[in-house]
Amino acid sequence: MEIFVSQIMTGLSIGSILLLVALGLAIIYGVTGVINLAHGEFVMLGAYAAWFLQTQFGLGLLASLVPIFLLLALFGWLIEALVIRHLYDRPLDTILATWGIGVMAQQAIRLTAGGELRYVQMPESLSQSVNILGATDSAYRLFILFLSLGLFALTWGIYRYTSFGLKLRAITQNRAVASSFGINAGRIYRSTFAYGAGMAGLAGALVSPLKSVSPEMGTTYVVDAFMVVVLGGTQSLMGTLASSGILGELSGYLAFYSNDTIAKALVLLAIVVLIRFRPQGLFTARLRA
Amino acid sequence: MSSQGNNRVLARTKTEIALYAAVCLAILLVPMFLQDAFLLNKYARYLVFGMLAVSLSLSWGYGGILNLGQAMTFGIGSYCMAMMLKLKTVPVHTGADGLPDFMVWNNVTELPWFWTPFYSPLFGVLAGILLPAGVAALLGWFVFKGRVTGVYAAIITLAAMVVVQLVIIDQQAYTGGFNGITDLGQFDIAGITFDAYGSSSYYLVAICLTITLFLALAITRSKAGLIVQAIRDEEDRVRFFGYDVALYKIFIFSISAAIAGLAGMLYTIVMEFASPTFLGVPLSLSVVIWVAVGGRQSLLGAMLGALIVTGVQGALSESETFLDTWTLIMGLLFVLVVLFLPQGIAGAFASLARRFERQRPAPVPKPVQHTEPMPNGRQIESTR
Amino acid sequence: MSTENQLVVENASVSFSGFRAVSDLCLKVRAGELRCLIGPNGAGKTTALDLICGKTRLSGGEIVFKGKPIHRLSEHAIARAGIGRKFQVPSVFRALSVRDNLHIGHSKQPGVLANLATFGQGGDTEDIERLAELVGLEDELDTPAAHLSHGQTQWLEIALILAQDPSLILMDEPTAGMTAQETKKTAQLFNRLGGRHTLIVVEHDMGFVRDIAQTISVMHQGKLLAEGSITDIEGNQAVRDAYLGSGGIGHA
Repeated sequence: MEIFVSQIMTGLSIGSILLLVALGLAIIYGVTGVINLAHGEFVMLGAYAAWFLQTQFGLGLLASLVPIFLLLALFGWLIEALVIRHLYDRPLDTILATWGIGVMAQQAIRLTAGGELRYVQMPESLSQSVNILGATDSAYRLFILFLSLGLFALTWGIYRYTSFGLKLRAITQNRAVASSFGINAGRIYRSTFAYGAGMAGLAGALVSPLKSVSPEMGTTYVVDAFMVVVLGGTQSLMGTLASSGILGELSGYLAFYSNDTIAKALVLLAIVVLIRFRPQGLFTARLRA
Repeated sequence: MSSQGNNRVLARTKTEIALYAAVCLAILLVPMFLQDAFLLNKYARYLVFGMLAVSLSLSWGYGGILNLGQAMTFGIGSYCMAMMLKLKTVPVHTGADGLPDFMVWNNVTELPWFWTPFYSPLFGVLAGILLPAGVAALLGWFVFKGRVTGVYAAIITLAAMVVVQLVIIDQQAYTGGFNGITDLGQFDIAGITFDAYGSSSYYLVAICLTITLFLALAITRSKAGLIVQAIRDEEDRVRFFGYDVALYKIFIFSISAAIAGLAGMLYTIVMEFASPTFLGVPLSLSVVIWVAVGGRQSLLGAMLGALIVTGVQGALSESETFLDTWTLIMGLLFVLVVLFLPQGIAGAFASLARRFERQRPAPVPKPVQHTEPMPNGRQIESTR
Repeated sequence: MSTENQLVVENASVSFSGFRAVSDLCLKVRAGELRCLIGPNGAGKTTALDLICGKTRLSGGEIVFKGKPIHRLSEHAIARAGIGRKFQVPSVFRALSVRDNLHIGHSKQPGVLANLATFGQGGDTEDIERLAELVGLEDELDTPAAHLSHGQTQWLEIALILAQDPSLILMDEPTAGMTAQETKKTAQLFNRLGGRHTLIVVEHDMGFVRDIAQTISVMHQGKLLAEGSITDIEGNQAVRDAYLGSGGIGHA
């Protein structure tokens, strides 16, 4: 029973981190159609921002979350305005450009903050562990779980119930028609990109106490997040939620029963097979061919 | 007028062949002016990268298949060569077991079945070309028969490469794991031994590059090459003429892989080892950058792009900070090229040349006569 | 001219997420015939062509071409059986020259290996130049297709299909974007093609239809509504009713 619960909790914890990281990627891809290969680097920048604020200004992790979100959102806004905006009609080139941006971000951090591992302190108030049905789990992981669900709910609420969300959905359906009704698609795209980048920054800050922070940390995250998005379907936020949960439990299980390398390889193989047979995701109905 | 038009096409082809030949000749002449073994080895390495760039230009520039895992087939070729060269050292370096050293360290007692054929140099060389081509054909069949295109196909190539890399790292006992396969014998053929630091290896690479370049040029100028380019632009249109689109894609994808495999084999010869980093994401990214900078739709441009970028990088690599800064500049350069110069340097030159050609008075001034002025003759924007 | 039916569409149906774009369509076309397919917007004309050339798969019924069912063949196999398709939005290879475009259209040998050994124009030079002349592009042979005007692009695609030389040609609004003069020339061209090729032409321009059609099939809401000569169709009350919503037959 204990092992079972702790296994489930591990999966949920992995899943909640996946959700945090994937949410931004899913929004950006779902709305603008851009696969942002620099997404992992956005996460990495968020983690470094947490480290920087903590070591230089003594700012606790929880207090720095809002500034980090705003910082990364600004960064995403700039990237969209300077680069992505020019590439919407060249999807293959957006992959290349975002890849290049990722390389630059990694290298810029390596040059300024150094290549060595950095560590971020967990918030004092959340560093103890909690007992759930006989299994112990860290309070911080539970905090991440609830926060990620909260952020998801917030995003879903914006998408569903605000006029911004309505415009967003209109543009996703048909950009030309939406534009002819006076919706400024360019501005919506830019805000979306900024929001997605801000979410990635939050994800980076939140995982920083759990993992060591390094310039390369983003690469693994972008792969995992991409898997979530592909599995969940590109047009469905609920799909993102479901696939985060499924993949979290699955990788918890795989890591428990086999070694890490093979688990990674299996995940990638799953991506390949999934794209081949269900490029629209598992949770999306097939519309007009 | 028809023969005139044909002649113009022919003249352009001749100029192109002359240009390719001149560059190859220059490459082949380098050892005459250069005795430094280390420099020769370095240049040979650059040429290998040039060959790798040519391979990507075929699939990406001509076929429209952005292979983000081009290093996969490069790495497979390199491992084939390394396995063959490793077995040449076996009786000398290890004991009675006759096993490669890393297998002994990993308590392997018997040479695995997939290693034994590599005792034959011929098998090794053929495998280094045919295995990558076969793997690519299989992957291509899986992807292109399923009509997976564009971004999704690109992601699959990337994922497939990482899978192969992870398996190689994981299967340490049979592949040398993280360390790769080191401590190799020297490649020899027809009595010539190819010392990594001798001019023989340089010539080997340069000659292979020349052959590859002209072979690739021939493919792109054949009707099959034309069809591949047509598929890049309008896949459906080609399909409804009766061409099997997937087959053509698999073809160009496999040819590209075979060339990458050959480049990988040569890389093992000049580097004297094989490593899982040879099929890693950073190298794949580099190839894409070289080709983008040089010009994806020009074989020569792609090759020169690789030579220029790796050359500058090599010159800066003396200092660690410089190299780090260089990577940053590379990233920026790459983004700028994607944004403003989608056809790379070669494309920029081509459009300059075209402008120059147009400014000269045409040899036979002939009024362009449309059958009828086009009132709604909206010019179709050219896709970049 | 054979009186045998070259193409038989039998009870063809297809639906997109519940919407039946074509339902129980029956169509018989004799070899060498020039058939016009008309109907108000959304009648399923383009979808009908898509079904014949394999772009869209049937969900019911069958399509028989020269006595053999073709609706399960892959697109390239259908094309090789002798069906050519011109798209509504002209689809040519913009990066390539007109000459190279025509070279690709000439697809008697579709195999990879055969084409790997073909350089220059092979033996097709004369054929290519004759076709270019036929559609008035003989001075643009070395122009990239991207630089052609809209009407020229339409003609280039028509020439590409003639290079393919299929026995049945499906034309989707070939005169869209053409001037009156160009349309007239296209009508003459089509009339010359009749007899050697079977043509199914989807058109909105009734003047053009009058100039070329022998038989007209009218589609409405995915079904065949009427079939007959131009006078039959113009006098047909059901056809008039169908067109009522879209401003009359001439302007549809």
